[in-house]
Amino acid sequence: MSTLDKAPASARPVPNPKRSLITRLHMGTGVVVGVIFALAAYYGLHSLYTTYTDKVADPLSSHDNNIVLLGAMLSWSVGFMVGIGAFIGPWRWLIGKDLTDEEILYLAGDGQGTKRYFKYCTDHKVVGIQYLVGVMTMLGVGGTMAMMIRTNLARPGAHFVTPVVYNSLVGLHGITMIIAMIIVATGPFGNYIMPIMIGAYDMAFPRLNALSWWVLFTAIPVLCSAWFLGGIPTGWTAYAPLSTQAGPGMNSFIATIIIFAVSTAVAGMNITTTVVAMRTKGMKWNRVPIFVIGATISVALAIPAFPTFMLAMVQTGLDRTFNTGFFDANMGGSGWLYANLFWIMGHPEVYVILIPGVAALMEIAPVFVRKPLFSYNAAILGFAGIAGLSVLVWAHHMYLAGWAPSLNGPFMVTTEMISIPTGLLFLVLIGTIWRGKPWLKLPMLSVFAFIWDFLIGGITGIYLSDVPADNYLHGSMFVTAHFHFTLMGAALTGAIGGLAYWYPKMTGRMLNERAGYISFWLVQIGFNVLFFGMFMAGAEGQPRRVIDYAAFYKNSNLVSTIGAYSVGIGMIVLLWAVIHSWNKGKVAPMNPWGAKTLEWTVPYPVPLTNFDELPIITSDPYGYGKGK
Amino acid sequence: MANHDDHAVEALPPTPGERATGFIKRNDVARTIGLFVAYTAIFIILGKYFYPKWMPTIMSKEMKSAETIMIWFTYISAPIAGIVLSVATNSFLNAHRGDTPPPDGPAIRTNGPIVVLWTVGSLLFTIVAIVWGLLEVNSQAVAAANDAKSAITVEVTGSQWLWTFNYPAQGIETHDLNLPVGVPVIFDVKSADVNHSFWPVQLGIKVDANAQVTTVIHTTPTMVGAIEVKCAELCGLYHAYMETNGAVMSKTDFNAWVTAQGGHTA
Ligand SMILES: [Cu+2]
Repeated sequence: MSTLDKAPASARPVPNPKRSLITRLHMGTGVVVGVIFALAAYYGLHSLYTTYTDKVADPLSSHDNNIVLLGAMLSWSVGFMVGIGAFIGPWRWLIGKDLTDEEILYLAGDGQGTKRYFKYCTDHKVVGIQYLVGVMTMLGVGGTMAMMIRTNLARPGAHFVTPVVYNSLVGLHGITMIIAMIIVATGPFGNYIMPIMIGAYDMAFPRLNALSWWVLFTAIPVLCSAWFLGGIPTGWTAYAPLSTQAGPGMNSFIATIIIFAVSTAVAGMNITTTVVAMRTKGMKWNRVPIFVIGATISVALAIPAFPTFMLAMVQTGLDRTFNTGFFDANMGGSGWLYANLFWIMGHPEVYVILIPGVAALMEIAPVFVRKPLFSYNAAILGFAGIAGLSVLVWAHHMYLAGWAPSLNGPFMVTTEMISIPTGLLFLVLIGTIWRGKPWLKLPMLSVFAFIWDFLIGGITGIYLSDVPADNYLHGSMFVTAHFHFTLMGAALTGAIGGLAYWYPKMTGRMLNERAGYISFWLVQIGFNVLFFGMFMAGAEGQPRRVIDYAAFYKNSNLVSTIGAYSVGIGMIVLLWAVIHSWNKGKVAPMNPWGAKTLEWTVPYPVPLTNFDELPIITSDPYGYGKGK
Repeated sequence: MANHDDHAVEALPPTPGERATGFIKRNDVARTIGLFVAYTAIFIILGKYFYPKWMPTIMSKEMKSAETIMIWFTYISAPIAGIVLSVATNSFLNAHRGDTPPPDGPAIRTNGPIVVLWTVGSLLFTIVAIVWGLLEVNSQAVAAANDAKSAITVEVTGSQWLWTFNYPAQGIETHDLNLPVGVPVIFDVKSADVNHSFWPVQLGIKVDANAQVTTVIHTTPTMVGAIEVKCAELCGLYHAYMETNGAVMSKTDFNAWVTAQGGHTA
């Protein structure tokens, strides 16, 4: 870091590290060492714990087997990080040294071409691209599972999959998409764009940045292993005691969450520190681009949220291995304890997902309307208000759990108060576009789509926040439609807008517009049809997460499935556009949208340290418009 | 460009009345107002027709209040949706196409009165929603307390993947949920294994079934007819099929049914 910080590009030494270990490690060595660790843990624990085998009929579901599997999965993750060289730096510290300047420069990946994407590379732009590819992969997998769910529900009778497969699809679609949505904006754009936006050479902790990505990467095969271990029957909520009863696939879920929580904590701390400490000269808090503010509030909110989930999963793991009975009422524990821990993470988490998407659209709107962002302060108040209230509303998911009916009133009050800061977000956007002539490029279309989608998500959320209405709607398809309207309608729409907007800076090419428009309309129309049908099914009384339904619900479900196929085709078109334009798209100028934030002042490819000399900021980036 | 009107208005020293008429007569404002009326009306119509059409027969006060809240919260949301969507649509209709950015719009950084008005408006909206909800929650709690003495009790047990109903006073156990009309009923709900959620759909109430603890809900069926009982909490393999039927029946029919099951009537 020190070398990169101080030296301008011309004065930097050419990387020429000795043939040290650091140059020989990459994803491949990570996989090899990871597998060795996993096998060692598997056979080691196996020999230890089969000495007193559980007396259960199915040895695969035994506590011993859970110990062996959990141990192997977590060891894989640690082993991979060893094998890719994540611990070389900390090891040097232990023996009282540090990496040499050459080694630091080598880790930054300068001049290593595409190879660096498969290495422990500390350049935030490389990490951003890694996250982008990771997110697109997860969306592809999660989306395919969604299509399988909707195919099965196209008509009554459950003709497509078995109950075991269906429940696994529901749970794995859920957790895959939740993870993808959490990182969908802060991963690619928070890493690639944000440090340039604030005028920094890199993130505050470049090695932790690489760590956050590669740790997350190790969770992917762990989650996939659930399929080969009998799936997960619990949905992504993993309520106890269903999770205690569940088969070996549940271990994959537990290990995934533990690994993911580590990654989020590291990334959250890194992004927060970067924004607090590394803004360039003159970038006072009231001159920080709104996307940076949103991303920071989002990750800061994630820092307390995910460790709670991790804790709940550690306890679930202990229940399943050492019979601790934290969450099992039959052993004196409480399933409500789990539900509380889960939703203390779960409700902040939806805003962790939502805020960066909205913030990206707030960054986009002024550029395409050529007007200042309307009421920057209201935007910040909106984000901060939502973040503050979001830690006080968790038990609205438990109105009907029977846990504490007398607390339903207070939780209803805090939940409905979220309407006020949420209203400010709408005000900022409509104030910005009011009296402007919006330039209808793809990023701007996403702003309009968001306004509609999030409005519907918001209004239906008001019903659900109200206990007497929730009496009927809770646990029905109506809830599923509502949260897809908010999460997909805000976070995914915002991220697609952000992708279209920042694509030229991240790839040097313009995203194919024609394909982009086709995809946009297929996805947005399909999305509205899909969840209109689902609102209908829910209002009619169809529970969520069901493999089958009575003939009475066949119309609403068919409508949903038709919409889902439109979304699916639209996303494939978008995927094609992203891949095709990356190589063959029109070469992008330095600032194709005429925007005023700093990332548009650097060329493509962005130099290793972004700026030769750090810029000095004298105003916020929203100085558009005539008069004043 | 619409903003030349703005300068024309500001050039004169206008009275507040003139300013207001001038503002409303501007093309973009007039169009926005028209769109506002249309969107508000659309939302009101959506709430008024779709929910009653979709939702099942109302067979209890709780069901009635769930549906009323969905309809009325749509009504009070309608003007807010109207403002947001009319401004967005107006702007969309002004769209600029082509490969160069549009000319700059007016440099409106903020507008104090609008921000305050908007915040106060959403505060009032929130207060209405909160007060409505709290009054409703309270009236349901009061009704439960008042009805406790005259109520019949049904012990509900969820197990993978079956509902069992035990009527202690009548001494019967069944898998169909039959209830007498007009008589308050208290459901004591528990689970024999994992979490379930007891949902007699047409009665508009729901509560989780947990192991080792009993959760309680209350209602009074208000009309005779068929009901469905479903499970609203994912409970494993056959969650979707954990449903059964039942009926709200006249007191005579209910007593006859109890007797036929081998139970005793009061
Ligand atoms: Cu159940």
